[in-house]
Amino acid sequence: MLRSCTLVLLLLGLTLPLAAQQVAPEVYTLENGMKFLLLPRDTQPNVIAVGWAARVGSVNERPGITGISHFFEHMMFKGTTTIGTSDADRDGMYIREQETVRSKLRATHLDQQYERWKRGEIADPWDQANDTPEMSDMRARLREIQESQKKVIRKNEFDEIYTRLGASGTNAFTSHDLTFYINNVPSNKLELWAWMESDRLQDSVFREFYQERDVVHEERRMRTESTPTGIYQEQFDAMFWQSSPYSWPVIGWTTDLNSYTREQAQDYFETYYSPNNLVGVIVGDFDFDEAYSLIDRYFGRLERGEEPPRVVTLEMPQLAEKRMNVECDCPPQVEVRYHAVPFGHRDEPALEVMAEILNGVTGRLRKSLIEEQRLATSARVIVDSRKYAGSVGFSGECQAGVDPEKLEEAWYGELEKIQSEPVSERELQKIKNQVLASSYRRLADNFSLMIQLGYYEALGDWEYINEFARQLTEVTSEDIQRVAGSYFDPSDRNVGIYRRKASGGGVAATDPLERFAPEPRAMVRQYLTFLPQMPLEQVEEMVRKMESQVAEAPPDFKIAIEFMIEKSRERLSAAEEEN
Amino acid sequence: MTALEVKKLLILLVLCFSPVVTADDLPIPSRPEELVFEELTFQPPNSADFRHLLDNGVVVFLLPDHELPLVDFSFRFTGGSYLDPTGKEGLGMLAGDLIRSGGSSSSDAESLDEAFDFLAANAGVSVGLNGSGASLNCLASNLEESFTLFIEMLRDPRFQTDRFDLLKSEIIEAMKQRNDSGDEILDREWKALIFGRDHAEAREQTLASIEGITDADLRWFHKTVFNPGNVVIGVTGDFEIDTMKTRLEEALDGWAAGNRCSAPPAPEAEFEPGVYHVEKDIPQGAIYIGARGVVRDHPDGTTLRVMNRILGGGGFTSRITNKVRTEEGLAYSAGSAMIPGVHYPGEFRAYVQSKSRTVALASKLILEEISRIREEPVTQEELDIAKNSIIGTFPRIFESKNTVRDLFVNEERYPRAPGFWKTYRDRVKVITPEDVQRVAREHLDPARMAIVIVGVWSEIAPGDLEGRAKMSDFFGGKVTELPLRDPLTQEPIGP
Repeated sequence: MLRSCTLVLLLLGLTLPLAAQQVAPEVYTLENGMKFLLLPRDTQPNVIAVGWAARVGSVNERPGITGISHFFEHMMFKGTTTIGTSDADRDGMYIREQETVRSKLRATHLDQQYERWKRGEIADPWDQANDTPEMSDMRARLREIQESQKKVIRKNEFDEIYTRLGASGTNAFTSHDLTFYINNVPSNKLELWAWMESDRLQDSVFREFYQERDVVHEERRMRTESTPTGIYQEQFDAMFWQSSPYSWPVIGWTTDLNSYTREQAQDYFETYYSPNNLVGVIVGDFDFDEAYSLIDRYFGRLERGEEPPRVVTLEMPQLAEKRMNVECDCPPQVEVRYHAVPFGHRDEPALEVMAEILNGVTGRLRKSLIEEQRLATSARVIVDSRKYAGSVGFSGECQAGVDPEKLEEAWYGELEKIQSEPVSERELQKIKNQVLASSYRRLADNFSLMIQLGYYEALGDWEYINEFARQLTEVTSEDIQRVAGSYFDPSDRNVGIYRRKASGGGVAATDPLERFAPEPRAMVRQYLTFLPQMPLEQVEEMVRKMESQVAEAPPDFKIAIEFMIEKSRERLSAAEEEN
Repeated sequence: MTALEVKKLLILLVLCFSPVVTADDLPIPSRPEELVFEELTFQPPNSADFRHLLDNGVVVFLLPDHELPLVDFSFRFTGGSYLDPTGKEGLGMLAGDLIRSGGSSSSDAESLDEAFDFLAANAGVSVGLNGSGASLNCLASNLEESFTLFIEMLRDPRFQTDRFDLLKSEIIEAMKQRNDSGDEILDREWKALIFGRDHAEAREQTLASIEGITDADLRWFHKTVFNPGNVVIGVTGDFEIDTMKTRLEEALDGWAAGNRCSAPPAPEAEFEPGVYHVEKDIPQGAIYIGARGVVRDHPDGTTLRVMNRILGGGGFTSRITNKVRTEEGLAYSAGSAMIPGVHYPGEFRAYVQSKSRTVALASKLILEEISRIREEPVTQEELDIAKNSIIGTFPRIFESKNTVRDLFVNEERYPRAPGFWKTYRDRVKVITPEDVQRVAREHLDPARMAIVIVGVWSEIAPGDLEGRAKMSDFFGGKVTELPLRDPLTQEPIGP
């Protein structure tokens, strides 16, 4: 979840094999525990990619406050006592007044409205349409306070200062395990970054709290509820993770989003945003001396806090297969997901190489499921290793007329192959060559390098960026067979079957070739491609041949050949009319 | 001693006698405006310094950089899918994909893919609406091998039948998803409305047009577009200029140059201003508000960019985002874009996604902002933020060798006025609030705009619970209902 944009892309980039060429930032740690990774580079002059990550994400939440890490990320852009207001005292007073009314309103929701809902009197305890007159009064009062507060708020001043001074891409994103605040500053403005970031770490004010909550509701509607499969993917995650806190979405459940308080956000800040839980990353056109001195002065003023609480609950072992059947406005597709390993586990490299052997233009899935068996239009395996647990999953979309269950079966076939036969030396070497090349390619852009370093450090240790690459190049065929054998137990399967909803405004006219099985359909499509340019004599010849064969053809092919004969006759009679 | 030398000496003396100042003791300014920054000077690179002419007249830009052992080629061709003949919509895209995936004269498709992958070389071919391209990124250690495969693929593609056939069925499956997401329906109907359904901007492939494409069509498209008569080349990475020139000359040797493709035709459609709606069951309405815009080289181009930054293109520092998102909490995504066209006027559009009940309110607030920027001058402060941001981020346009290369190649094909970038910052500096108001008045007219909405009309039409806006407030309540279209035929569905 980003304050504006898409996390998935960033994280997908990170799961590519990383390798051989070493990345060697300077590590600089302040007495308060804040760690910095510094990498001066002159390939992109005049600009510095900067960011800092907090080692906190939705995995640190609990029922009742799910989504607060992400919501909190939004609040971090609302300013401080210095930035974002023309009168910090009056601003603070309005905030306190709102809190008094808000906490009454919240209590009314949780007591009175929840009771009415439990008795079946209202359908949604949070829908404003179900407000009691008393609640409407409270809302009116809140609007009044908000109106007065507007006079002392400098809207989006935090962004304004950065923008005016030539910074760009000021943004942040939250994942299950970390929250990352990023941008680019001109090379003469590293001090601006140090000022702005240490200011908000020291003195954040969560103003416009409730307006921003509406923004996050809209974000949820946009990303999860208005996309073809969003809410079902959320359900699938909740089914997959049993006891682990990964079971709830980063954006949070709707009820929780409705009920956060400023106090909860403040608690969260004090618990997880101490310098000893943060890592800063600077990559680009700067020099060490300047960076050391700015870091000392600005971030050195933050006070070390207590160590944040550890995550306790681990995922309980899954004992039986789980399945989910979905009908939506989406192409027929299947997902099969298994529990695997957390970030940094010694089996992670072998699982990753196994996935690479299956994926890509020349990977096994494309060759077998798409080109040979003609069951899928796309197919891939994703290894998702998070801080405390991980998964590995197959997903694919079906070709016309193919049942998702058939594609599911074909996946089990591919899995069996990789479990029972060693992968070839050439396949392994190909992956290693790609690992090597991407170890250079990842250095091409400072901004993405900054994010990778912060990501690795926030999940464990930045040095794993080099270590993981080395381990990838050492994976053997036996390793792959071993992990293929240990992580794909049928009782650990979670299967999502998606079919197109009949009345979804989706496909009205159907593909006339859809009624044919994949193999004869391929034959028909190929024939139709050639038919328009075939000389007429050849068309006649083809018709004769097909007519002589049609009787003995297997049933699947019989109807296809009949269709081809019909199309050929159409061509011949059209040609006759022209003459 | 000169004055300067005196000054230097004084500074030295002061330094000697000052107590030792450690970093921690330096005071932290109370506001960021008090920070003092060193001057940053930057001059944009000059394309002529990197431009070379091959012996067959092809222009290349060579930007060597030995930091990483990689070489990156970009071939840009004039000609794109606007050349698709009527009834063969989708030809260009299909041809582009098959040049890449259909093998070459000496390698079948499987061997070619396998060779690229084993060499860890990334090769790509794409055909866009108004231009086409081919790219290769490979390790310098296997440049010879990778580049030979790449050039043969480009010059002499095989268009292998089984891949052709497979690609067609993939395209057809993708086509079936056309109505699955509200944004996609919105994009399609918007383009059809403002450019006309028959113009290349909005023309859609159908099952019939894809089925009808033949091997001969692919070869025609390849010959017409992918030839030296249309190409400009740019190379970055680990190579020497002279060797690279020779390599390119050898690669292009004997490849017949065709005629340069003619420019894409300009759209002629006119639309009736008003509200347009497509029904789709989603909890959030998706909305575009706007009209046709300007050409890239319009004299008001730079001022329009500044105007749009203030209106809705400057993220959290722009009016629409501030009003609709920050102040009212009505949307996560809200803003505006001024998209100029190189060959013909492009478009202006404001966008927002909001829950059904607040679609009318969000639209109303956006239209009010459009009117306001026409009716009153922007504040000096807003203007300064927009101008300083454009000037301050100017070096990022030339950030890496690849971005510079792409800019040079693009402007070789579609030249800008001489000195455009050299004087760019100066031209931004002199823009006044009056200039911004003038271009807003001239180019944005809410009365001539279309509002296109995808969502559940029965929930959208009545507006918000507090009665601040409803859909009948716009254009006298007149709404044009647009039918959902069959994903395979693009014919209207239903009555």
